[in-house]
Amino acid sequence: MKSIIILIALLISVVFIRLNTEAIAEDTSAVKSIILPVIEGELKEGAGKDETAAFCNICHSTDYITMQPRLPADTWSAIVHKMIVVYGAPVNEDDSRTIINYLSSTYGAGK
Amino acid sequence: MGINDMEFSRRDFLKTAGAVGLAAAFGGFPSGLFAEERRLYKFPEKTDLILLTSRPPQLETPLHYFKELITPNNALFVRWHLADIPTSVDLSKWRLKVGGNTDRGLELSMDDLKKFERITYTAVIQCSGNGRSFFKPRIAGGQWQNGAMGNVTWSGARLKDILKQAGIRSGSVDVVFDGLDSGPLPKVPDFLKSLPVDKAIEDDIMIAYEMNGEPLTMLNGFPARLVVPGWFATYWVKALREITVVSKKYEEFWMKPAYRIPDNPCACVPPGSKPDKTVPITRMNTRSLVIGPSAGSTLKVNSAVDIMGIAFSGGYSIKDVIVSVDGGKSWREARCGTDMGRYSWIQWSHTWKPVEKGKYTIMARATNSIGESQPIESLWNPSGYMWNKIESVEVNVV
Repeated sequence: MKSIIILIALLISVVFIRLNTEAIAEDTSAVKSIILPVIEGELKEGAGKDETAAFCNICHSTDYITMQPRLPADTWSAIVHKMIVVYGAPVNEDDSRTIINYLSSTYGAGK
Repeated sequence: MGINDMEFSRRDFLKTAGAVGLAAAFGGFPSGLFAEERRLYKFPEKTDLILLTSRPPQLETPLHYFKELITPNNALFVRWHLADIPTSVDLSKWRLKVGGNTDRGLELSMDDLKKFERITYTAVIQCSGNGRSFFKPRIAGGQWQNGAMGNVTWSGARLKDILKQAGIRSGSVDVVFDGLDSGPLPKVPDFLKSLPVDKAIEDDIMIAYEMNGEPLTMLNGFPARLVVPGWFATYWVKALREITVVSKKYEEFWMKPAYRIPDNPCACVPPGSKPDKTVPITRMNTRSLVIGPSAGSTLKVNSAVDIMGIAFSGGYSIKDVIVSVDGGKSWREARCGTDMGRYSWIQWSHTWKPVEKGKYTIMARATNSIGESQPIESLWNPSGYMWNKIESVEVNVV
């Protein structure tokens, strides 16, 4: 029994030393890493806010919306359709109407 | 105490009302600067920069950094197109692949890259959309003010030497550059840019691995990026992974229809209209900026002040900068500082002693060595590129 415990201990230490050696062998000085901050975007209240946040956040933060100048409804519509056609945003006809309505009424320039 | 000296915590917001209040309190900064919400935020290897977007990151340099000839690495602007950007690179595994229509394929490690002759020069890096927020009518897109630019000393290998080692085959048309970034959805067009072969083999095109003597910051394209001095930064592909020589004109999304300008001498159309024909944006136009005194400053009558700023053009040295303090009625030639070469910006200054109280409009206009200058009225294009209108800075003399 005692010898088995010693054997296991030995095995563990061998594995540990191996892992350690590997860690040393992999030159960590060659790795450069950063951690990007996660910044919550804040959208104004309005009908369709949650859908807009959910779909737009797939590809980009919602500050892409909030930094824009007030845009006319047809510009918002063109932008949403560009996201679907060019970038492949998985937004169906109903959802796109909800999003366009939200953007035009919340961040719109009127007619 | 100016705005520069003030401490902002990470999530502080600068709102219009706050900015106006501060301007009143500290007597010296432009009420127009914060027309929309601008907040400062610290990203890795960066100082507090103006946050446009967080994912992918787009960060703008506050104007006061342009009082310096060289823009510090931690203050240089950041602009990525696609959300999946490289956040970790292992140089023991990273290779720059070169291939396509070449005699041989290369897989260059950083050590290999550093074996090529090292070249160094100072060059302005500027986003095509720098100044977009100033266009009228307004244009959707990254709402940059003047901080999507910087003046950096780049070091690296000549692209020409690398391409020579690979051996460009006859019939080659374009050279295509791909970075480590990618889109979060399969259909998002990967960010690839191309240069015509003749441009790619010009002496000054560089694969840069250092900025201001340090390795590139991750957000500015570690481990290596393309530097196309004189041309807009859209070509300066970051975190390079592959260079491909192609025998056909490369016209994928980020070359066409993206990053296009009207195909006419002014690269402009009547505001709000669309051009019939477009070409890829390429070389930077001539610009100057008044950095000090800042807009909205209060100056003392009968005491001299140095009006100072910067000027640059797309690869042609600045010939002169003229300054007006009366809204463009009369002009004086400014003194120019150290010439760091044709791709760098130049600092200029003009000493002015106002002898009467009142409001003054300071303007500056640069002209380069081939006669390119800046317009009084902005030239409009649908994407909001190439902003270079003569800036007006209002000051108050009391």
